[in-house]
Amino acid sequence: MSEQPAAAPREIFDKDLLAACISCGFCLPACPTYSITKLENSSPRGRITLMRALQEGRLDEDDPTLQEQAGLCLGCRACETVCPAGVKYGELLEQWRDHQWRGRHTPVLAGGLRAGVRITPALIAGGMVRLAARQTGAADPTRPHVMLGCLERSLYPKVSKAVVRLIPEADVPSGQGCCGALHAHNGNSVEAARMAAALGDAMPGTIVSTSGGCAAYLDHQLGHGRVQELSQFLAARWEADPSSMPPLRTITSRGRTARVGLKDSCQLRNGMGVTAQPRALIAKVADYIELPSAGTCCGGAGTYSMLQPEMSQKVLSPTLEQARDLDLDYLVSLNVVCHRQLVAGVKRARLRVKVIHLAELLELAL
Amino acid sequence: MPGQLATPSHTGYAVRTTTLPSAAGRPIPPDVLDRLRSIVGGDHVLVTDGDVEPFARDATPLFRARPGCVVLPATTGEVSAILRMATEHGIPVTPRGAGSNLAAATIPEHGGIVLVLTRMTALKEISGDELLAVVEAGVTTAELADACAAKGLLYAPDPGSRTVSTVAGNVAMCAGGLRGLKYGVTRNYVLGLEAVLPTGEVIRTGGRLWKDVAGYDLTRLLTGSEGTLAVITEVTVALLPMPAVARTGVAYFDSLADASRAVAGVIHDGIVPATLEFLDNRCINAVEDFAKLGLDRQAGALLLFGDDGTAEAVERSLSLMASTCERIGARGVTMARDIAESDALLTARRCSLPALARLAPITMLEDATVPRPRLAEMVDRIDAIAVRHNVVCATFGHAGDGNLHPTIVFDPDDGDARHRAEAAFSDVFDAAIELGGTITGEHGVGAAKRPYLERRLGADQMALLRRLKAAFDPAGILNPGKLGS
Ligand SMILES: Cc1cc2nc3c(=O)[nH]c(=O)nc-3n(C[C@H](O)[C@H](O)[C@H](O)COP(=O)(O)OP(=O)(O)OC[C@H]3O[C@@H](n4cnc5c(N)ncnc54)[C@H](O)[C@@H]3O)c2cc1C
Ligand code: SF4
Ligand code: SF4
Repeated sequence: MSEQPAAAPREIFDKDLLAACISCGFCLPACPTYSITKLENSSPRGRITLMRALQEGRLDEDDPTLQEQAGLCLGCRACETVCPAGVKYGELLEQWRDHQWRGRHTPVLAGGLRAGVRITPALIAGGMVRLAARQTGAADPTRPHVMLGCLERSLYPKVSKAVVRLIPEADVPSGQGCCGALHAHNGNSVEAARMAAALGDAMPGTIVSTSGGCAAYLDHQLGHGRVQELSQFLAARWEADPSSMPPLRTITSRGRTARVGLKDSCQLRNGMGVTAQPRALIAKVADYIELPSAGTCCGGAGTYSMLQPEMSQKVLSPTLEQARDLDLDYLVSLNVVCHRQLVAGVKRARLRVKVIHLAELLELAL
Repeated sequence: MPGQLATPSHTGYAVRTTTLPSAAGRPIPPDVLDRLRSIVGGDHVLVTDGDVEPFARDATPLFRARPGCVVLPATTGEVSAILRMATEHGIPVTPRGAGSNLAAATIPEHGGIVLVLTRMTALKEISGDELLAVVEAGVTTAELADACAAKGLLYAPDPGSRTVSTVAGNVAMCAGGLRGLKYGVTRNYVLGLEAVLPTGEVIRTGGRLWKDVAGYDLTRLLTGSEGTLAVITEVTVALLPMPAVARTGVAYFDSLADASRAVAGVIHDGIVPATLEFLDNRCINAVEDFAKLGLDRQAGALLLFGDDGTAEAVERSLSLMASTCERIGARGVTMARDIAESDALLTARRCSLPALARLAPITMLEDATVPRPRLAEMVDRIDAIAVRHNVVCATFGHAGDGNLHPTIVFDPDDGDARHRAEAAFSDVFDAAIELGGTITGEHGVGAAKRPYLERRLGADQMALLRRLKAAFDPAGILNPGKLGS
């Protein structure tokens, strides 16, 4: 056996979190990277075994497999929802990347993105577009605050405008920071937590987010109930007070009721358990078609599409095929990173389907 | 079965007790690695520490050993070339499917090659006319069952790990499951095998025939051989027509012993239902924490009963089982309203083991099995053993099969906790054997129960196992240290 003499144990992971996994393998079928590679190393169970070997000093900290797998994981947390043992994989991954991607080990792009988001979001978009936010003076805790994902603010200003039409009394402060999710998923959870706390202070009362990833991260950091993703917020509000729902007409496309599919946001689905609301909202305005891969990661996964372009496209490809086969007119996204990934994929595959954020779809029905 | 207890060997044959291959425990030589790469392609030979680490363990706690390398063949020809070479060089080979076994059966305790069959995933044939399916080794149980269901056919073996485990892994362990009482276990469905001997020959045992007595029944011998006699590359299984209706109900009792009495009552009534599973209070709570089905957390035990067949037969059998449970003193009986509710209950039951992992860092389970009429007695003995050794034990199992999974949970940092758990299980094995049962009903022997095997088989059978092993595997390369060693 090629076993190295064990190095000193390391304190990288929360011991109890790591001990929770019993290697039953129930998570294997849920994992998108495992279903592509069929290799234990790129399964949740295999990754947890690697984390254990790192913690217990059985693997060198610079082991190439550790480095590779910390990057190849999508962070989609599909493994968490099926794990009967309640393993908190998302937290383990954050702790892993904090360690694995420290200092010189940071993948160049991940480091660049972290810095970019901190300095100015517009830097990422190359200063392409102006902000769509309305400035409305001091924060009012009685009004819902719309939190604009920092990528979204610059890349997709139309989404913010659509939200304002759907929630007229919303407060959309312009000087908001970043929620920190990108940092947390890219190996800097300390800075991330600080950013989330600052954002929470700046926005008293309910925070409504148009990005599933931001919503789930803030929900985790600020405590349950403070943050709602847009579909969650609208579904609850329109049900509690039907008069707050604007009249919605049926969206048509090519002479028929539009056929609309959805791509769940992983953090929203697996982190917050929100799945019914976006489907119900779409069904109010169009024919909702469930893609077989609706709940599977799109491969966008934060910075993943840039760090792991090849795997990212493999993960996406079933969705594109299904969207074509099911003859969709629109494909709804709930998260800005998914949105960008889906747009790029649709363009590459030359599909007819139009990728649209939920807020924009609902705006079409106004 | 007292006749099978340990007796001195009268056969007089020299019995080889160590079957370790010559290169056991040594690193794989570079020229061997090169040849492996030329057989399966460079991408399918893993050698670095990080790449092989995930294959150092399976679903069994406390056992781990890193292999020298991991090889992933895609064809029977590749498997044959690998084995021939391993025999030539005396290198240990441990076959592996999904690594979900609970007996440390895939731990490469003597290093060497871990041979992973998960790339062989062709569903070659599903025939409704012949009622059989032919699959490659690495197809998962659920993939096979789902593909059959889509054609109106039932693949009956239903291990709790079905979404993960491979069909060849099921055959190699003779896996049981949640339908054992009425339908039996994997062995009852294996018609034929394609397998590669450690020396490289490819054999086909059995086949597509329902009747075939030409020669020793090697199909049955390989079934449950735990990767120690040959590597299975293809499996032909028998199918059944899908029953028209399947329904499930739940009865709650004050204790597991009461639930056991209900099981005896059901069988006494002349019903042989598809499913009779039970969980004790700790299991109910762990499962409910995950599945959130609204189970009765106060109950001492839960009995899951289910049957399939024609609508009238199922109706009759479920109402009979319900009334038997009530007669025995059930605190409550409910029926699943629809298929979704039935499936949710069965899924929750399959999660019992991993859900118990919520209780403590180490979850050690056993697999003792007793004749059905002794079930309640065995349950009482397990309780007493747990008290005697001061361990926290949760018990669930395939009640209808007399198959119990007492599970001890503990923190390895808690002094002699592991020692107490092992001592308790040793007593559990003795109790099972005393009641006419066995040390393992379905999870197998592997490395974990190898030290206890002789208690069940006796010295003569142990010696015969070794001779059988040597006949298949003269160099002793296949899964050394497990069955037949
Ligand atoms: C949560 C959970 C629930 C479970 N429920 C059940 C249950 O209800 N009933 C039950 O019986 N078991 C159950 N098991 C145990 C386990 O799933 C079974 O033993 C299963 O058959 C193992 O299949 P595998 O593909 O994972 O095989 P592995 O674990 O990879 O291997 C098991 C053995 O088979 C050998 N092997 C694997 N593939 C081959 C091959 N192609 N040729 C020759 N030998 C091979 C290996 O060498 C090893 O000895 C459960 C396990 C878990 C984790
Ligand atoms: S993460 Fe959960 S489901 Fe996956 S192997 Fe570990 S315990 Fe099992
Ligand atoms: S987070 Fe997603 S990609 Fe990563 S291990 Fe879990 S299921 Fe697989």
